[in-house]
Amino acid sequence: MTEDNKEKIMTMKDVQAKAEEKKCAAQQALVFVEEFLSEPMCGRCFPCSFGCYEANIRLKKIVAGNASDEDVERLRRIGTNMLEASMCKKGKDTAAFILDKIAAEDFAGHISGECSKRECGSFSSYLIIPEKCTICGLCLDACKDHAITGEKRKPYLSGYQPMEIAQKRCTKCGECIKVCPDAAIVLITSKEMAGTVK
Amino acid sequence: MSKTVDLTIDGKKVTVNEGVTIVDAAEKAGVHIPNLCYLKGMKGIGACRMCLVEVEGGRGPITACTSKVKEGMNITTDSEKVLEMRNFVLDLILSMHPLDCMTCTKAGVCNLQKYAYDNGIKESSFTRKDFGYPIDSANPFIKRDPDYCILCGKCVRACKEQGTNVLDFMGRGVGSKVVTAQDKPLQESDCTFCGSCIDACPVNSLLEADRWRKGREWEYVKTASTCLSCGNGCSIVVSSKDDSVVKINSAGDYGTVEKYICAQGRFGFDALTSDLRINAPMKRVGKKLEETTWEDALSIVAEHLKKSGKNASIISTANILNEDASALASLASSAIKTKNIDTTVSLYSGDEAMNLSASADLDSADVIVVAGLATSQYTRVLPALDAAIQKRVARGAKLVVIDDVKALASIAKSLVTKGAKSTKELDAALAKVKTSDESDATADMIAAAASPVIFCSPSLFGAANNLSLVSNVSVVAVPYEANARGVVLSGLTAGAKSYSDIASGKNDVLYVVGEPPIKKADAKFLIVQTPYLSDLAKQADVILPAASYLESSGTIVNYLGKVKKVAKAASPAGDAKQHKDIFADIAKAMKATLKDAKVDVKKSLKTKAKVKVNAFEKVKGLDVNPVDLNDKINKSVINSSRLLWLKETEMALASK
Repeated sequence: MTEDNKEKIMTMKDVQAKAEEKKCAAQQALVFVEEFLSEPMCGRCFPCSFGCYEANIRLKKIVAGNASDEDVERLRRIGTNMLEASMCKKGKDTAAFILDKIAAEDFAGHISGECSKRECGSFSSYLIIPEKCTICGLCLDACKDHAITGEKRKPYLSGYQPMEIAQKRCTKCGECIKVCPDAAIVLITSKEMAGTVK
Repeated sequence: MSKTVDLTIDGKKVTVNEGVTIVDAAEKAGVHIPNLCYLKGMKGIGACRMCLVEVEGGRGPITACTSKVKEGMNITTDSEKVLEMRNFVLDLILSMHPLDCMTCTKAGVCNLQKYAYDNGIKESSFTRKDFGYPIDSANPFIKRDPDYCILCGKCVRACKEQGTNVLDFMGRGVGSKVVTAQDKPLQESDCTFCGSCIDACPVNSLLEADRWRKGREWEYVKTASTCLSCGNGCSIVVSSKDDSVVKINSAGDYGTVEKYICAQGRFGFDALTSDLRINAPMKRVGKKLEETTWEDALSIVAEHLKKSGKNASIISTANILNEDASALASLASSAIKTKNIDTTVSLYSGDEAMNLSASADLDSADVIVVAGLATSQYTRVLPALDAAIQKRVARGAKLVVIDDVKALASIAKSLVTKGAKSTKELDAALAKVKTSDESDATADMIAAAASPVIFCSPSLFGAANNLSLVSNVSVVAVPYEANARGVVLSGLTAGAKSYSDIASGKNDVLYVVGEPPIKKADAKFLIVQTPYLSDLAKQADVILPAASYLESSGTIVNYLGKVKKVAKAASPAGDAKQHKDIFADIAKAMKATLKDAKVDVKKSLKTKAKVKVNAFEKVKGLDVNPVDLNDKINKSVINSSRLLWLKETEMALASK
């Protein structure tokens, strides 16, 4: 077996590294729990294996923007008890991470409908700034969900309108923002959006 | 005597043996530490974390099921912190458990329900999780409903420890499920349907297949009794409702390796109410058997027995109670005045083996030698002994299996050459015996053991018993019927004619008690006294309906020399009566009275006979096939209960 083919076993460090690729506390907690459940969790003790499963459900709710204070309370209860009652360090570390993220500044915003780190799709929207759009059509090709409307500019013709994002269709995958050469696409929070969408 | 440890649990001082877990110590102090995954006698796994307790000076809460007691411990089992954790775990479990206690069969004996009640949790505060697993109800014995499973692993560990190894977890965490290999239905796995998993399951995930709406647990009358299906005589708890048996469980707690009953003992009770059951005395009128009154039947029986007198022959099985056996012995000697009496014990054991067999404590056996016994949970030959030995081995005992009498001789020789005190007679018997590496190793084990036990077939008892002269080994001859020792001790032993003479010869009047393995009897007049319409009963001139062991009360002596109680769990079907009462009625009809038992079984068990040297030879003529014998003795029970399905399934799978 060569080095490349060897199946790499995910460690808690990998889980943490993966979680910290995200910026938003709720996203970090969710990724951490999901990754932990996917591999390093042994499932030998109830508080950790059942608790993480429940934490995963609650965090998904929080990230999806349909959570309440009760969900945060439940998460806190899971974290506190897991920290004490889990069998091994892995469970305790996960609990500590959850508790740490709940206490983070930007976590509470998710309950009132804001992700200040602009990472949670349910709390933010993509918007094309018409003044900056050169109607190059790259975002049109990049969007898998056909959420961008408009026509690619042909040379020597006029009357083109800038591209627009149909918010209902947008799945907030972020592919368009990557390809836009003019930085015409921005990510704004739902609150900012409320002011722009007519 | 092991060292003791003093500790305090919730302010109560308690002294326990060293090496005991905190859960067991608390039990002794009268404090129950909640637990869902702890199986007494087995190593704790600390999975459910319900048993977390706080120890003064400790770093944090510890699991009571995996922690051994230490001198001077001060343990708190109900601090606020611990209670919150317990609540939390319960809350999580309840979020994935169907909350249908109002119709749940296990309500009343469900640990989860009990703890939820104790902690005042009505429903879970977490998200409801419903997995919708299919129910395995493809067999008539065990219903598996994974939706109720709380993943405590008790069934998995019970099954593994007894060596059947059928159940295991598939998956990890919340989504895991207890399955057989490749998630096949039980009958396609190696399952023997002993139901140890049912006894282990703390919830409604594993239960008897026919329990739906057969009464609630608290309506059952529970009777502690003993099963008489095979040579093991296991302790059982019979639950009955409205005077009929609903279910049978294994008695005793998990602390003992004897906690096991097989499918036959657990599910054979169907036969009590089956079509094969005889509810009234019957007599032959022409070619047909017709029901009659007790009075009529008894007068016919008494008349024939009186006429025949010393020419009459009696054979009985050995799964009758001590009281029945002594009544029968007395009936033969004082009323009928015949010496032609014998029991099925003669098929596999001499009287000496039954009388001299030692008593042993299975739970402390550290070296077990099995000689000439084909114990197996699969063929149901002494299955409980098989399971007990497997469990002992799992808990650290050493096991030696030998088949040949020569091996016993060489072990004895090895013991002597390694310095055991011998006698002249034994030296003479061992003169030409050679030792081997295996016998040397076994001798070393026996010499070093605190309580070694030899379980041997009765035909090897004489040879095996020689080993008790040169070591501290207890030699137990294991019979194939539950009360073989009791029957022999009660004085029901071969008289003028032996069992085989009676079974294969011509008889004047033949009186058969129970269901011995005889297909056809040659007798001028045949009386059969049995609970079920057996092959022999169909040929009878008079059938006397007897009560089954579940409808009788008395005692037996099991293979380990313990006197065990058999208690009446239900009234006999129809007009059936217990054997001893029928014997008394016959004596009365013959104008004789039965003498009280001459032998006090308990007393005779206490008297220790001096061991004399026997030849290292297998006793001839005791080579009955145990599987065959077991099948024939229990034939009616098997054919008129769920066990028939099992037998047919096994045969179908074997022919694949």
